Amino acid sequence: MSSVTLKSVTKSYGQTEVIRGVDIEIEKGEFCVFVGPSGCGKSTLLRMIAGLEDITSGDVAIGGRRVNELDPAQRGTAMVFQSYALYPHMTVERNMGFGLLMNGEPKAKVKAKVDEAARILQIEQLLDRKPRQLSGGQRQRVAIGRAIVRDPAVFLFDEPLSNLDAELRVATRLELAKLHSQLDGATMIYVTHDQVEAMTLADKIVVLRGGYVEQVGAPLDLYNNPANLFVAGFIGSPRMNLIAVKDGKLPDGTALPAAAAGAGHIGLRPDALAPDAGGILSGVITVVERLGDADFVYFRTPWGQELTTRFAPGTAGGAGDAIRLGVTGKMHVFDSNGQAIPA
Amino acid sequence: MADVMTHKDPFFTPRRRRQLVSVLLAALSAIWVYPLVWMIFASFKPNSELFSNPGMIPDAPTVENYVRAWREANISTYFFNTLFVTVGSVVITSIASALMGYVLGRRPVPGRFAIMGLMVFTLFIPQGYTIIPVFELLTKLGLGQSLWGLMLATCGHSIVVFTLLFAGYFTQMPKELEEACRMDGVGPVKTFVYVMLPLAKPIIVTVVVMQSLQAWNDFLLPLVITLANPAMRTLSVGIYSFKGENFVDWGGMTAASTIAIVPIILLFLFLQRYFIDGLAGAVKG
Repeated sequence: MSSVTLKSVTKSYGQTEVIRGVDIEIEKGEFCVFVGPSGCGKSTLLRMIAGLEDITSGDVAIGGRRVNELDPAQRGTAMVFQSYALYPHMTVERNMGFGLLMNGEPKAKVKAKVDEAARILQIEQLLDRKPRQLSGGQRQRVAIGRAIVRDPAVFLFDEPLSNLDAELRVATRLELAKLHSQLDGATMIYVTHDQVEAMTLADKIVVLRGGYVEQVGAPLDLYNNPANLFVAGFIGSPRMNLIAVKDGKLPDGTALPAAAAGAGHIGLRPDALAPDAGGILSGVITVVERLGDADFVYFRTPWGQELTTRFAPGTAGGAGDAIRLGVTGKMHVFDSNGQAIPA
Repeated sequence: MADVMTHKDPFFTPRRRRQLVSVLLAALSAIWVYPLVWMIFASFKPNSELFSNPGMIPDAPTVENYVRAWREANISTYFFNTLFVTVGSVVITSIASALMGYVLGRRPVPGRFAIMGLMVFTLFIPQGYTIIPVFELLTKLGLGQSLWGLMLATCGHSIVVFTLLFAGYFTQMPKELEEACRMDGVGPVKTFVYVMLPLAKPIIVTVVVMQSLQAWNDFLLPLVITLANPAMRTLSVGIYSFKGENFVDWGGMTAASTIAIVPIILLFLFLQRYFIDGLAGAVKG
């Protein structure tokens, strides 16, 4: 396992800059997740670390060694592709051992490595099958197995769960978390657009937008202290309610607490609101989602914005009911540039 | 009463319609295949019977035509000449067009479309225009009077089509396969040999079948190249020599023709499944 350091890394395709000066420090053994909306450059960044994309400027170092000019195979990384990229005409065993065999490793050694990886991933019984005879989840495991046999310093995952159905995605997410500890805390870099995957898997999350890093931190840090409006809106499900305010007042003129003085926006998580006859927020319920363990209530404010709150199961009214809510949790405050104002 | 009328089975049920179509198609196939079958039967008739009995079944079947063709008319030599030219040209064409198709389909080649355009342009030039320069080229290379030269020249016919077939097929392959190879430290040559080429099996089979047909049945090119050297003739040219100035040995010709078509039919029977896959894949792409 190795650390990964990115220093002022940029990437341009002709005139189009897709990565605009990124600095990231990933510690040995860390599970780091790059998260962001589509087109934010997260996959490009991963591919630059892998060596599949050239680096326009800046430095990428793996284990303290600058790797900008090295071939992908010499960087000590292994990648799990979104489409798995298994060789369709080879058996699972050959798929996993192919790279090693082509590089002249003795057959017996390759077999031992493949068997060990198959044991870790519990796919021993699949070794003789071809990829088309496997389910999505099994293919996923084979792709991970192919990475494991190379014994890499860094594992790279490019949206590995996005081709799986919802149930399998949750199960595989757990498997990946277990795998990380099983592989003696191998360094892993994982790209996803799903903030739930990011929150559940990561030791460190890097939130990207438009080729910039918006914030780096532990999952709960990002959840509790988002650095700006974008991170506040991106991390957390359902998303944070963001309300534009002026002169310390809500759009309908309701005065806010003193902490919101000078704010451009305030942010309230759905679970930071509770029914309160004297509360500052009012509205009319538009939709109620009853999930069993909670009711999510969508309501329309007098200024026409749709906000979300969370009720204990079975306690929410129905669509058309008027509600009034008070703030019971943390109120996030952002200045007029969208940057967080520390409480 | 009206109710009963509406429930009456129509004459053309789907099953009957299928049967009718099958019968029609079978009749069409029979007409289409008749000359070929007639020729095979005729090859068992003595020359004297060929025109006296225009029906299909011979009165007195004989293999004499085959013996004569194989021994006296040198069909045995021509057969092995053709085999040599065909196998050689299939090997060369398959390897060359797969390599070119891979590069054109997947590698960033400067002027790729110009190259492909030029290649397609050559398809529109009739063979007759190029045959003299080809002959001259072979002569200059010292191959004008050899089967090697004929083999090489035979490769030229369809290599453009095959290259485009391969290029089209390789273009569709996901780039992640190559990237996975790069991550595994597998070089471009091994990637091509172990990953790309096995996946292009349907196209390889298509090329093998089409080039075999082409080389086996080619007439004009071997005729010109072997004009001065009858020992180098291929089957198609050899069969033509049954037509003498005063007499045509139709029996020998039908026997030789039957000898000539058997290998091609066998090849097609063995490979037809892949062959159709390859063509269907090319159209789909």
